[in-house]
Amino acid sequence: MLTRRQFLDTSFQSTSILSLASSVPCFLTRSLQAAEKKKKNGRILVVIELNGGNDGLNTVVPFKDDNYQKYRKTLGISESKVLKLNPEIGLHPAMKDAARLVEDGRLAIVQGVGYPNPNRSHFESRGIWQSAQLNPKAHGGYGWLGRALDQNSNRVQTFADSICLGDVDPPQALRGRQATPSTIKNLAELKFDLQSIDAEVDSDKNTTDDLLQFVRRRTVDARATVERLNKVKNTGSTKTRYPNNGLPNRLKEIARLIRAELEPRVYYTVQAGYDTHINQEFDHYRRLSEFSGALSAFLNDLRDSQLDDRVLVLVFSEFGRRVAENDSQGTDHGTAGPVFLASPSVEAGLHGPAPDLSDLQDGDLKMTTDFRSVYATILSKWLDINPQSCLQGHFPLIDFLPS
Amino acid sequence: MELFIQAAKPDHSIRWREYRPTKKTPWNLRRVVHLHRRAGFAATWNELQRDLQEGPQSSIDRMLNGTTREKTYFDDFERMSASIAKAAVRSNQPDRLKAWWLFRMLFTTDPLTEKLTLLWHNHFATSNQKLEDLSLMRQQNDLFRSLARAPFGKLLTAVLHDPAMLLWLDAPSNHKGRPNENLARELMELFTLGIGNYNETDVKAAARALTGWTVIDDRFSFRAAQHDAGQKTILNQRRAWKGDELVELLLDQRATAERLAGRLCQLFLGEGVAQSEDIKALAEGLQAHDLDIEWGTETILRSELFFADQNIRQSVAGPAELIIGATRALELVDPPPQTMILADWMRKLGQDLFYPPNVGGWNGGRDWLRTSALISRTNFAAGLARGQFSATQTPPDWSGFAAKQRRSSTPEDFVAFLAELLFGGEPAPGWIEGIAKRISSNSHSRDEVLQQAVANILASPEAQLN
Repeated sequence: MLTRRQFLDTSFQSTSILSLASSVPCFLTRSLQAAEKKKKNGRILVVIELNGGNDGLNTVVPFKDDNYQKYRKTLGISESKVLKLNPEIGLHPAMKDAARLVEDGRLAIVQGVGYPNPNRSHFESRGIWQSAQLNPKAHGGYGWLGRALDQNSNRVQTFADSICLGDVDPPQALRGRQATPSTIKNLAELKFDLQSIDAEVDSDKNTTDDLLQFVRRRTVDARATVERLNKVKNTGSTKTRYPNNGLPNRLKEIARLIRAELEPRVYYTVQAGYDTHINQEFDHYRRLSEFSGALSAFLNDLRDSQLDDRVLVLVFSEFGRRVAENDSQGTDHGTAGPVFLASPSVEAGLHGPAPDLSDLQDGDLKMTTDFRSVYATILSKWLDINPQSCLQGHFPLIDFLPS
Repeated sequence: MELFIQAAKPDHSIRWREYRPTKKTPWNLRRVVHLHRRAGFAATWNELQRDLQEGPQSSIDRMLNGTTREKTYFDDFERMSASIAKAAVRSNQPDRLKAWWLFRMLFTTDPLTEKLTLLWHNHFATSNQKLEDLSLMRQQNDLFRSLARAPFGKLLTAVLHDPAMLLWLDAPSNHKGRPNENLARELMELFTLGIGNYNETDVKAAARALTGWTVIDDRFSFRAAQHDAGQKTILNQRRAWKGDELVELLLDQRATAERLAGRLCQLFLGEGVAQSEDIKALAEGLQAHDLDIEWGTETILRSELFFADQNIRQSVAGPAELIIGATRALELVDPPPQTMILADWMRKLGQDLFYPPNVGGWNGGRDWLRTSALISRTNFAAGLARGQFSATQTPPDWSGFAAKQRRSSTPEDFVAFLAELLFGGEPAPGWIEGIAKRISSNSHSRDEVLQQAVANILASPEAQLN
């Protein structure tokens, strides 16, 4: 019987994959050709999506504003509970770890981030954030990071350009014309049961069948991914204590992949549960506490490995909630919200003007910063990618990263 | 001459013309396999041979009237199913309810209805994650099944009165003066019109029209005191809209018919097969037939488009299609498979029944092929070939399986037989030879070689297409 080692040898080191060149994404042939030329100095972006529409107003709280207390009769957070960032604004009491990150200079918060003519559909709004297009269907379904990695593709030498970790569909943000995302549920499931599989992907270079080509590419990609991860599995131990929850576990695995010198420059994960139409208080507390603890553990873990200066974390949600709470101690879909950026490299603290609670539109916040300015800043100052062609427009940069 | 010119006009509705075998599009094993995999969950060798003999009309008839499966393993399938469901609900174990549905997919004589039930579970995606009530989840599932082929208005009305749905979308907190927009928005965006056919003020007004709809004692109830009886403008029409009238209004819109037509095409046709003209033509027909799902389903299944070459093997097999299809086609039902284990494989393949990822349901298509899901597909193939999911966990007798269909079990013949059974023939020239060569090049026993053949074929990229 074929051993796993033999299987991998025949499947990946032989010419069988290279002979698939026409149907295999170039990252794989590149990574075989340049396996030894690891690029260790590249900067990494980790994206955390708070899915469901995070209540920004109860995350970064304008506790001194009379309007805030007026609109949030039951859900409002009082001055005594809030974690103050300045005399007017503070963080939700569940975010002690995040507050500490601000204190020691590792967390920046851009306020009032949104886009013109906000769409309150989860899917449309996610599409807008992920594609960086106000009409997400207009540009072939590609995402802002996918397009960015396309531009950068000659510099990435890896089995995938980005990795999405978690039990979710591949986010549009990572989809590019050439750039290929890998979606991994968790590292434990990435193991082949090879007792009876001698699974080499057949090459049939003559096929014109697009869909079958796609399946072949994904199959080769999946098998290559397993092979690489098995190599790094044991290098991934950490002393940092993470809370034992969904998001912390996923960030722990991402830290492991980063430590293992895997080449993708972009990692992506999702924390769900922010769609708080009803009895928001407890749910929101739980989510924010999980998020803030996970973020802090992740940064500390990377610091212990002396990798944290290579990593920037971007945290966004598809929209904020309505300013006024609804009748069921919850909040309905709204507009602008805060974006978080975490890294020892950021200029910590608040950035951008807060939205004005006395100047609402249909009961919703007016955005004060276009989300594409956040993206443009990350692309040009962190990933060193020209933002203009990727975002198809010029957006002023924000000062959360030093020039 | 004039007739010729007329025929040359681009009339896209002709693509819904009834399929009649021609020299170029004969009724062959490939098309029989296609019918069973798309409209149902694959077929056994005997069923394929029967339908090959009987021809398209009666094969499609069988699919539509629920007699396509030749053997019922249980004398009283419905009673058996009901008692499994009841026990699952009582146990309060979600995995047992998932297993119940897989039992139905595996053993019902009417796989088309189970397939449509799965479609509605995706269209009206409700998750037990929030509900935590297996009784209501089961009730909703039975509702999808009993109205799976009804006029869409009946199904939609029933779903909007279904306690699981109302609780899922927060209807009970939608009060006069303080509307909760969740139900109104998803009703317009996902269930009927689709994005682009309404605006924000429509959603707000629709939410007001739905005030007062609630759940009391696990049943739909209307609380008049909570209803906002004021004037509202919905889709440019101003009046004192009530919930039921809103539903009628939405059902009358062409956009709803088009969304329904699109959904049915998504289920039965492969990637890029239906053009927007086809969907419009189907939507027109649906409107003329009271949005009857049965009419739409039958129109598609009998059509030239359904049996066109471009539609065959042009969709990604979903988790249920892959798991149930392989188990059924390979007749791994005696000893019966452990449906709890199969349900867990469905989760690993990306479709956790009763737990859709969000209100939009599963994306499906190419998104089924996430990296970890693909690895699970490979591992599933290996486990199934070894007989790991049966109650006795004994390796299946693959040479006996071949012999039963009077096929030899030399590696090449066995691979050729499986290719016919699973794909309706060799997927590409040299494919059979390639697999046969690879599995016999390692010195195994005959049994192991056949086992490897099954695993390799099910794990191949070709087997991920339906």
